[in-house]
Amino acid sequence: MAGTAPDTTERADLADLASAPWQTVVWNDPVNLMSYVVHVFRTYFGYSTAEATKLMLAVHNDGHAVVAEGAREQMELHTQAMHDYGLWATVRRAE
Amino acid sequence: MTQLTMGMSRIEAAHLMGLVGQFLDVLDASAPGDSVDPAVQRLTPDAYPGDDDASADFRAMTQSDLLERRRGDARTVLSGLALSGADPDALTEENALDVVSLTLSMDDAGSWLRALAAIRLVLAERLGIVTEDDHDDDDPRFAIYDWLGFRLDSLIQEVDALSD
Repeated sequence: MAGTAPDTTERADLADLASAPWQTVVWNDPVNLMSYVVHVFRTYFGYSTAEATKLMLAVHNDGHAVVAEGAREQMELHTQAMHDYGLWATVRRAE
Repeated sequence: MTQLTMGMSRIEAAHLMGLVGQFLDVLDASAPGDSVDPAVQRLTPDAYPGDDDASADFRAMTQSDLLERRRGDARTVLSGLALSGADPDALTEENALDVVSLTLSMDDAGSWLRALAAIRLVLAERLGIVTEDDHDDDDPRFAIYDWLGFRLDSLIQEVDALSD
């Protein structure tokens, strides 16, 4: 049973790592159509039209919006996917 | 299988073929991993602004595949246009406004959307569009840019209506 306590600690650390606070951020640009950005958020993230529109408006009005949060590798995948659609996306550590 | 049908005049189809061909030229002119063309850079933006090393690593991992997928999208558009029978060499003043019909699978439509969006990004870079108000009504290239936007928006409506 001696191993139990360290195991638990390690598992907790791994859990922290898995939920490490990284973000995918989509930035406003003067080219992509609002309807296209909504379409991308719907198609890729599976958001409803209402949710996707809200997120698009956040990008448009605030200049950027966090579209996903989680492990760094996952945020890089989302960023690559946004680039595939022509959206201007970046990865950053959550503030 | 869900499909959508799109009508387009022969002259539009001819213009689009020309634009997609130029888009492929822009992609082919970019050396992998070392593109200095700002239009190509816009298609593969810095993932880590302010961190050149991380951005370079990300680009090294993703850029060549990403640009290859754009080539694939462009080729899908070209083959769709070719299948429609809109042969640009057969374009005459008389048939320019005749409408040809294109049938797209939903996958094809995805390629069309990404290709049209990417070509607009390249055009915007060439036209120096940095704000939404940048527009020169006297420059015919802006008319092409607007027309692409109109085509893209129409296709989005059709795709969204079919996937609702």
